[in-house]
Amino acid sequence: MKATEALICLKFLAAVYAASDAPRPRGVGPEYGSDEPGTSACAHLSSYSPQTPDAANATLALPGFYCKNKGHVPSYVPFTNVNDGVCDYESCCDGSEEWDGVGGIKCEDRCKEIGKEWRKQDEVRQRSQTNAAKKRKELVAEASKIKIGIQDRLQSLTTEIEGSELKVKQLETELADVERREKGKVVKPAGGKGGKMGVLIGLARDRTEELREHLVRVRDERDSSRSRLQELESVLSTFKEEYNPNFNDEGVKRAVRAWEDYEAVARDKGSEPKAALDRDLEELTKTDKENGLDWDEYEAEEETDTDVLYAFENYLPPSLRGWLDHKLRDLRLMLIEGGILAASTDSGAESKHVTEARKRLKTAEKELDGHHKDLKKHNEDLADDFGPDDVFRALKGTCVSTDSGEYTYELCFLERTTQKPKKGGGHTNMGNFVRMERMTVDEDLPPNGKGLGSGERIVMKHENGQHCWNGPNRQTTVILGCAEENEIWKIMEEEKCIYRMEVGSPAVCEGVNGGGGKGAGGKDEL
Amino acid sequence: MAPMMQGAAWRTAANGCVKVGLRCVHQPHDFGRPLKGHLEVAAILLTTWNALSRISCKDISQYNGSLLAEIVWMATHLFLLPALAIPLAVKHHDFKRCDQSGFCKRNRALADSMTEKSSPDSSPYQLDAASIKFKDGRLEGSIIKTVQDTGPVKLPLQISFLERGNLRVIIDEEKRRKGEVELRHGSVARKERYNEAGAWALTGAGLQSQKSASYKKISKDVSEVSWGPDSRFRAIIRHAPFGMEFWSGDDKQIVFNGRGFMNVEHWRPKVDKPTADENSTEEAASAPAEDESTWWEESFGGNTDSKPKGPESVAMDITFPGYGHVYGLAEHAGPLSLKQTRGGDGNYDQPYRMYNSDIFEYELDSPMTLYGSIPFMQAHKTDSTVGIFWLNAAETWVDITKSTHGGNPLTLGLSGGVVDTQTHWMSESGILDVFVMLGPTPKDLSKSYGELTGYTQLPASFSLGYHQCRWNYVSDEDVKDVDRKFDKHNIPYDVIWLDIEYTDDKQYFTWDPHTFPDPISMEQQLDETERKLVVIIDPHIKNKGGYSVDEELKSKGLAVKNKDNSIFEGWCWPGSSHWIDTFNPAARAWWKSLFTYDRFKGTMNNVWLWNDMNEPSVFNGPEITMPRDNIHHGDWEHRDVHNINGMTFHNATYHALLERKKGEVRRPFVLTRSFYAGSQRSAAMWTGDNQANWEHLAVSIPMILNQGVSGFPFGGADVGGFFGNPSKELQTRWYQAGIFYPFMRGHAHIDTRRREPYLLGEPYTSIMAKAIRLRYALFPAWYTAFHEASTDGYPIVRSQYYVHPGDEKGFAIDDQFYLGSTGLLTKPVTAEGAESVDIYLSDDENYYDYFDYTTYNGASKTHKMTAQLEKIPLLMRGGHIVPRKDRPRKSLGLMKWDPYTLVVVLDKHGEAQGTLYVDDGETFDYEQGASIHRQFTFASGELKSTNLGAKGAKTAGYLKAMKDVTVEKIIVVNAPATWSDKNEVSVAGEGIKGSVQAELIYHGAAGSKATWAVIRRPGTSIGVDWTISFPETSSPRSEL
Repeated sequence: MKATEALICLKFLAAVYAASDAPRPRGVGPEYGSDEPGTSACAHLSSYSPQTPDAANATLALPGFYCKNKGHVPSYVPFTNVNDGVCDYESCCDGSEEWDGVGGIKCEDRCKEIGKEWRKQDEVRQRSQTNAAKKRKELVAEASKIKIGIQDRLQSLTTEIEGSELKVKQLETELADVERREKGKVVKPAGGKGGKMGVLIGLARDRTEELREHLVRVRDERDSSRSRLQELESVLSTFKEEYNPNFNDEGVKRAVRAWEDYEAVARDKGSEPKAALDRDLEELTKTDKENGLDWDEYEAEEETDTDVLYAFENYLPPSLRGWLDHKLRDLRLMLIEGGILAASTDSGAESKHVTEARKRLKTAEKELDGHHKDLKKHNEDLADDFGPDDVFRALKGTCVSTDSGEYTYELCFLERTTQKPKKGGGHTNMGNFVRMERMTVDEDLPPNGKGLGSGERIVMKHENGQHCWNGPNRQTTVILGCAEENEIWKIMEEEKCIYRMEVGSPAVCEGVNGGGGKGAGGKDEL
Repeated sequence: MAPMMQGAAWRTAANGCVKVGLRCVHQPHDFGRPLKGHLEVAAILLTTWNALSRISCKDISQYNGSLLAEIVWMATHLFLLPALAIPLAVKHHDFKRCDQSGFCKRNRALADSMTEKSSPDSSPYQLDAASIKFKDGRLEGSIIKTVQDTGPVKLPLQISFLERGNLRVIIDEEKRRKGEVELRHGSVARKERYNEAGAWALTGAGLQSQKSASYKKISKDVSEVSWGPDSRFRAIIRHAPFGMEFWSGDDKQIVFNGRGFMNVEHWRPKVDKPTADENSTEEAASAPAEDESTWWEESFGGNTDSKPKGPESVAMDITFPGYGHVYGLAEHAGPLSLKQTRGGDGNYDQPYRMYNSDIFEYELDSPMTLYGSIPFMQAHKTDSTVGIFWLNAAETWVDITKSTHGGNPLTLGLSGGVVDTQTHWMSESGILDVFVMLGPTPKDLSKSYGELTGYTQLPASFSLGYHQCRWNYVSDEDVKDVDRKFDKHNIPYDVIWLDIEYTDDKQYFTWDPHTFPDPISMEQQLDETERKLVVIIDPHIKNKGGYSVDEELKSKGLAVKNKDNSIFEGWCWPGSSHWIDTFNPAARAWWKSLFTYDRFKGTMNNVWLWNDMNEPSVFNGPEITMPRDNIHHGDWEHRDVHNINGMTFHNATYHALLERKKGEVRRPFVLTRSFYAGSQRSAAMWTGDNQANWEHLAVSIPMILNQGVSGFPFGGADVGGFFGNPSKELQTRWYQAGIFYPFMRGHAHIDTRRREPYLLGEPYTSIMAKAIRLRYALFPAWYTAFHEASTDGYPIVRSQYYVHPGDEKGFAIDDQFYLGSTGLLTKPVTAEGAESVDIYLSDDENYYDYFDYTTYNGASKTHKMTAQLEKIPLLMRGGHIVPRKDRPRKSLGLMKWDPYTLVVVLDKHGEAQGTLYVDDGETFDYEQGASIHRQFTFASGELKSTNLGAKGAKTAGYLKAMKDVTVEKIIVVNAPATWSDKNEVSVAGEGIKGSVQAELIYHGAAGSKATWAVIRRPGTSIGVDWTISFPETSSPRSEL
């Protein structure tokens, strides 16, 4: 007599389970006892039901009512559906869950047709799965090809780096050599006319270059500010057009008034950019050479008197000239090193030979640097997560899109998600790809198999999209299910500016039994 | 929903703060959160000061003279921060205070001057004794108002002494009635005082005067009428100044004009006075002139009211001697027991206002007006309740004051003295029309008031289920998805809702072609589980060429007109709009035609309606509504009919839904935001745009209780809170409270996060699911309570004073309540982090925890109940039988055939009783007897089911259909110990041959938990008589 209701429910359920082949019904029928374990009478034994003393700590022995579904796939139906007066053919095609005929309902057995239809669709699904698996193989092969390409490139990069390093070394020696040689040149007499000019020209050139660079930068900054201002003004003028003057919101009204004042003042000032001035600016920012000013022409050292003097070497026979030159240089060097003569480089104007040698070195160094960067990039790329079997390497940058409501939504794999209004207007970035994750989903699978189903799925997180008014930066969670083609199945705004995209792709078909074994009758999520 | 810009004020404030932080404080404080107290503020100021003192002279010269201002600004703002951190606040400047309302100010001034004189003697109203005629329970006569300059004004008086002990007083104005007045500005408005409020609010029942009422003249100056049951009631009429007293037996219950505040502003022509001559002020000084500044024109918020009829307010003081509490006057966001309104510690300084308005972000504990108005008041003292129904549709203010006097040692009042509650009613226009009800119980008042204005419609059963709403489900696919998710998570619900975004460009009766391309398939999916769809349709019609609804509205001339008598144009959701004038019978007929399935394409028979914005809300109108000088059908001014406007609209929708298709008659479901006395006949209401915070959760309870007191009990608040995002705890607690709202709908603003209960995760999802399932299990009890409301007018959830009218300790309690007559008492948790509640138990009866039968002995004291997050404080009072349906289903529609569980909670004498009402829940067949109404009684060891229902043409058929619906279980709480060794009961009744045995299982007491027993499958059909005999019980046993 102390047995609780729950225990009775369980006891009989156990009996049912053992006798589940009994003819009728497959949850225990009324003949088994007062609590109808095969019915919804025990459905209150659920964590979602209000607590009652008679159901304390009880759990159900069966996940639901067992539908045999002969001719189709057997399934468990939630107890809440048993004898509720509605035939649940979707989950119980034999209609056995309405065994009590409440309200006069009779559910005929439709397993034959439903099963047939299901098998037909299942066949399609299977075929599609086979294709998808094949496609995935192709994708993996392609990914691996891309990977090999990268690895090859890495190899050649290593060789190139070696070569570049060598070249840099050579050029360094060369530069030192040239410098040394130039140092040895007999100094230009300090204060010489041409020398001073040369210094001035050098300084002027540098200065001009500097000014030009800054002008370009300032102009760029101005342009970007101007476009931002324009954007802002257009936002505000739209705001003024579209705001509802009747919400009686003082803050909004104040903002609109301030904007109107600002607009009036701005119009008076005539702040429109002047095209002529801009053209001038354009001219000014061209390189000096384009402007007809060739600094090199002026910088190329005029031969000074002393230079002419030194040029006497030219009149000597080559062998003597070599010897003399050598001796002179040694002398000069000795004098310079002894602090007696000033080095000619002190003038601040490097000789053209040194500059050129340095330029060559710089170029070589840059090239080497580039190689190093490539190397790093490719190495990182190789280490990146492209999903199982590296498969998404083959999809990177591939875009798919779908229409939903007033928008077209686009996903570019491993890049970003975008919302494009059909009526025209700017695209909205819904988030940039940041990482892959995994997520457990539990969704109904539509008959065509185009859905996530249940289980662990690969998820691509996209964050930091365009900012939302009164909300966060847009973000999109892309959940991938196995499909024959890359396609967006569903797009939802789960909360303000947080999107969820369900996407099919053959890339995730490995080991995922997305549409297969479980069919319409195979609902086991209770 | 309400206008969308609500966040702006908060944002502005927040930005201001951030600005301070960056500029002046080295460590910017997080100004987004409220500061904890003055210490923290002081610390910030100190930091600020240090930072400022480091600024060199040069810096200061850069700051110019603004530095000082900056510091002052900063200091003031920092101290103000705690206030600023409250994100939303009502826009006070949008709505009038009494002193901004001409007639309220004038009447308060009159009250002040009469109070100063402390006697009504100077009241200029006199009943002309010679005019009195009394016949068949009706007294007629003339009140003469003495007016200094223009001579007497005649005010026809009519007093009807009604059956059931009620009484109605009507005072009109002869000149206006006869049309012997001139209106200004060439207005087309009617000249009479508005006298049709009754035509809308009253059903016609309860208006027969009691022919046996008897009149006698007591003296030259006093008349008396006695009437009521056994002539228990007396009305003593004082002729000069006019006044009345209502007596029940030897007790004075109600006094009219006892303080001389009565005022009927008579018609007068506007006299343009010559500008005052400085030299001849003597005359003017001798007679203090009335303040005429608000007689002819009034401006507020940039709108001017042309007032073509001049001043025309009506007012009266009504005193309840000895009554310490008054309730009613829905709808206000404050305590159930109404507060005093003339200032002073803890009191309001404004009268309760009734002028239906779209007040977004409404404030709590306030007499400000809200969306609906019911000018019905109950005054209550120990074991006596009386009431006033002030039948006026214009703007109405009510001042309340209480005075204590006496200190009679024989008085058992808590305070020691006698408390009189004095009220002062003021309406802008219309006749003075007031009902007096002498009770003497709250139930008598509910019944009387319900008889006059109609009882709650018996709703379709689905509408008692859980409603899932948000602004907005974005597409038909979205709706289908949410529908599937509820099933997937095994959470029942019955109705899913669509807010304004489903329409094509806010044109009602259309669907957005992008987002709702296939509404029918959505509705069909819902129909598979007997679920319904509710869509919104508001009274504003988009002003747009080519929109057929607007074009018909215009061409047929069915819209509200402006003061120049041409179509009124204003702004609402669709932008420029016109308003249907549902005062016009032709407009209502046309409205019907719009709902037929071929007209409102995309709807089928499981689609029902939501009428919002029907105050009406006009975004660019004065106080967000229509200009008072607008013209309605019959040439009545808007001011005359304002508070009734919303009701005419939802009524029109109700009747339209009855006639969507010939031969298909289902009980319509219409939700309204605006309402008036009588709205209960055709709609449910909700408390409008609340906020996701604990305070709003708490205030929802007195608001819902007050709806019950005010005769419109089918109401609820947005579960979870409309504006803002509730914490998971708040949302969970709100569901636990919301299952006890007569109308339970989760709703959320468009900018909030999704919050369908399955999204919250554990443990919250299962706690909410359990709460909803509890509501579903108790559906038979709820439906029975609704049936009571529909036949007797009783509230569906009942406050402490209502159930225990003799227990003074409970009169002000408004945070716990009973469900119907079931004895189920709940006290929702409305505080963050609470782990227990204190619940007051009035009577000397045992109360048992609903879930584990823990026993609490009532005895007029407060008990602590533990209430961790998963616990709903819910008690069962001894002596009741509660019907349940324990099988969880997807929807109420799918529970139709489920068997019943009866919970018999024995009282201290081992007895209990309860009732059950059942019908098909969707048709009107119950009007022809297609219902089951049972009385269950447990006494002397026998549980009996007897019939309470009346037989009708469809009774037998219904009973036959319900034959197989049985009682599957009976639980007896506080079962006698003598049953401990028994194991069966015998069952006899219709359909049972002889008697059969059913199994009994007894459970002994465990700790503080009561004994209980279960009878399994007694095999009794729910619709027939039966008796279950329990084992002998020599003496009833109580565990405590």
